[in-house]
Amino acid sequence: MTPTAALIDPFTPFSVPFMGRPLLLLVALAIAAGTVGVLVNLRRLEFSTDGLTHAVFPGLVVGATLGGAAGLMPGAIGAAVVAAVVLALISRRGQPRDTAVAIVLTSFFSLGVVLVSGSGGATGSLSDFFFGRLLTITWADLGLSLALIGVAVLLVVLTARPQLYAAFDPAGARRAGLPVLVLEVVGTVAVALVVVAASASVGTLLALAVVIVPTAAARALTRSLAAAAVVAIAFGAATGWLGLWAVVQLAVLGVDVAPGATVALTMIVGYLAALAIGHLRGTSTRHSAIASSAGAAS
Amino acid sequence: MTLDFFSRALLEVTLAGALAGLVGVLVVLRERAFFTMSLTHATFPGAVAAAMLGVSIPLGAAVAAVALVAIAVGIGRIRSQGPAVASGIMLTAGFALGALLQSLSPLAIDVESFLIGQVLAVTGADIALTAVLLAVAIVVWAIAGPHLVFSSADEGGYRRAGMRPWIPEAVALALIAATVVAIMPVVGAILGVALIVAPAAAARLVVRDWRAMLVVAPLIAIASGVLGLVASRWLELAAGGAIALVAAAFYGLAWLWAEAARRPRGTIETRTPWRTTP
Amino acid sequence: MSEPVVEIADASFGYGGAPVLSGVSFEVRAGEAVALIGPNGAGKSTLLAGLLGLAQHEARVFRVPAARGEIGTLPQSSEIDPAFPVTLEQVVAMGRTPRLGLKWPGRADRRIVAEAIEAVGLTEHRGTRFGDLSGGQRQRALLARALAGEPRLLLLDEPFNGLDHGSRDALLETVRRLKAQGVALLITTHDLDLARAVCDRTLLVNGRQIAFDETGCVLTLERVEAAFASHVMEIDGHTLATTEHHAAAHGAHHHHVLQDDGAAGAEHR
Repeated sequence: MTPTAALIDPFTPFSVPFMGRPLLLLVALAIAAGTVGVLVNLRRLEFSTDGLTHAVFPGLVVGATLGGAAGLMPGAIGAAVVAAVVLALISRRGQPRDTAVAIVLTSFFSLGVVLVSGSGGATGSLSDFFFGRLLTITWADLGLSLALIGVAVLLVVLTARPQLYAAFDPAGARRAGLPVLVLEVVGTVAVALVVVAASASVGTLLALAVVIVPTAAARALTRSLAAAAVVAIAFGAATGWLGLWAVVQLAVLGVDVAPGATVALTMIVGYLAALAIGHLRGTSTRHSAIASSAGAAS
Repeated sequence: MTLDFFSRALLEVTLAGALAGLVGVLVVLRERAFFTMSLTHATFPGAVAAAMLGVSIPLGAAVAAVALVAIAVGIGRIRSQGPAVASGIMLTAGFALGALLQSLSPLAIDVESFLIGQVLAVTGADIALTAVLLAVAIVVWAIAGPHLVFSSADEGGYRRAGMRPWIPEAVALALIAATVVAIMPVVGAILGVALIVAPAAAARLVVRDWRAMLVVAPLIAIASGVLGLVASRWLELAAGGAIALVAAAFYGLAWLWAEAARRPRGTIETRTPWRTTP
Repeated sequence: MSEPVVEIADASFGYGGAPVLSGVSFEVRAGEAVALIGPNGAGKSTLLAGLLGLAQHEARVFRVPAARGEIGTLPQSSEIDPAFPVTLEQVVAMGRTPRLGLKWPGRADRRIVAEAIEAVGLTEHRGTRFGDLSGGQRQRALLARALAGEPRLLLLDEPFNGLDHGSRDALLETVRRLKAQGVALLITTHDLDLARAVCDRTLLVNGRQIAFDETGCVLTLERVEAAFASHVMEIDGHTLATTEHHAAAHGAHHHHVLQDDGAAGAEHR
């Protein structure tokens, strides 16, 4: 194949296995975007998600110290669970949720930083943690990540109806006898699973991007929730694939960019395009029942 | 005046603590912690670009922050998006852009120093910038304090009283952004947010008066900075992480204290806006 | 007769789109209390928002006090987070900020704040955190905040809702005192007896103006029915005009409900 053909051909790069694996993971994350991401958007959990991504860090440090590479995932899961519980505890005590998340986020992350510095650990781990190793992901990592994402998606899909009710009208859901606290915990755990799945393989930046950006783009383009979920999945898959393709093309041109960051930026660009399209079609400016009721509930 | 690096670091954390405490009261009362966190990430690409181009890092951070905040404010006003989405987008975009730039020029600023700072490498110019902003923050609180608190507590009431809530909002955001830009290169994103939010949140738990918060929050922040710095020297830990952990510990103590002092109060507030039944 | 503080003629109010309330002509004089009565959704709150410049209006005559601090308001319920670290005194002092701008409060301002707190009988609570006050006390504190601005016009939105007898009598007394001081008041209420007790004139609305006259002339059965499409009842000796929503909430207290023939009554005005 001539170099020019390689530049425009969007499929060939993915025929080699080390490109197929990241693509597969990105597609799985796209499905998470259309389910877990929609929940995050409706419940305004963006900051909690960011908090969880940082809170996982000390778990990774402890896991790596105790069990090497095999300890990463258990450590991450443990830290995510502890962080989720602490988050729930503080935010139920009259502190604004926003403030509680910030404190949990900074203290967990600092704990990780202090642990790293105390154990004289590798300094490269921080960068890996955020931006991951998207292109060098192994089959074992991939399998574990897919399993975690699968569980997260399942949790959200199975509780979808009550989750929606509780997101729109928490007081009404409580009066109707729904276990609002349990739903909240299930939702947060689902977010945490996606964060963990991403942070041990592709980095937390992508977890954050995948959970926040596709649904936000879908909300700009659609008016019903079901449509938003579908569009978010399509958006996540398309931008993920485009981002990977851009990484490959830039590598061919001799520019070595961070793959995770490139994919995340592709999503941001796609999001801005979606905003522009939504604005032109006028859907985002017209009164949307979803937006106003979610706004009132928050 | 020449100081050794540790004395300079002590001076910087004291000034930064006082500044972060004062601005933190604003962040906590207006519930702007997520915005602040996003802002720290929004400064990242600017700082990296400035380092690549060889210009002043706070200047680059300020330019990037202003650009991303402008975009985020626009997104926040779109009905289907809202402020939380806007902050999330700002955070993701800032972080991704910074990481991308950094991968193009790995020597510019590494992610680690962006996140946890290099408080021991502080320069005289950093200290001067922090001191100037501290003075600005004191002046703003002295002049506009009642307006900032009124509009934070009761935006609807502020508007009905014939005043424009966007003015205190703009002042608050500008002050938060300037603080982040000034202390970020020194203390890093995570420590910056920890110093801004945790002391003010702790103060909010133990006092019932915003004026007392303005005294207590800077004191806690300064104490966190000094204790954390000294502890990091003795125990040979990362200074930024140690300071943030001390601040979090102060918050934990305040929380326990407030729990112990809490009178049983079972009122659930129904926050009905004025115009729900036109 | 004293001069009108508010003068409105042929006005309609709304938020963009179709007007919520139209055909409104009334005035409020200094030292006079006007009751604003109408069912839920009648446009009362839109009218209040319109007077504050927070809703749009179109009018032949539209005169309201325009300087900062000249209009005081009491919302239906507090929007202040109970955990917010402000004392009662600081909340009341907020009422001075429109007049002060960026100036520091002087001795005169502190005296006005203290008097406002005393006027609502909360002097011994002035150092209490706002969130630690009871619901009725918070409402009184917000009234004191409105008074601290030394308003020429005071807008009270359902001030009697949820008050016990003692607080209600105290509030009536405060309203009378304010009238004696020459403050103009516009008070929305569902309680017709309270309107009769303290309001000189009454503005009856439901999407448009139904009547504006001496309270006794306006609050006739016929006109109230016209406005409320029949939901009038008595609770504890007070005549309440209300809507389905309230009727359901207070169903146990229903003494009598008048039947619906409101449409015909509404026509002849």
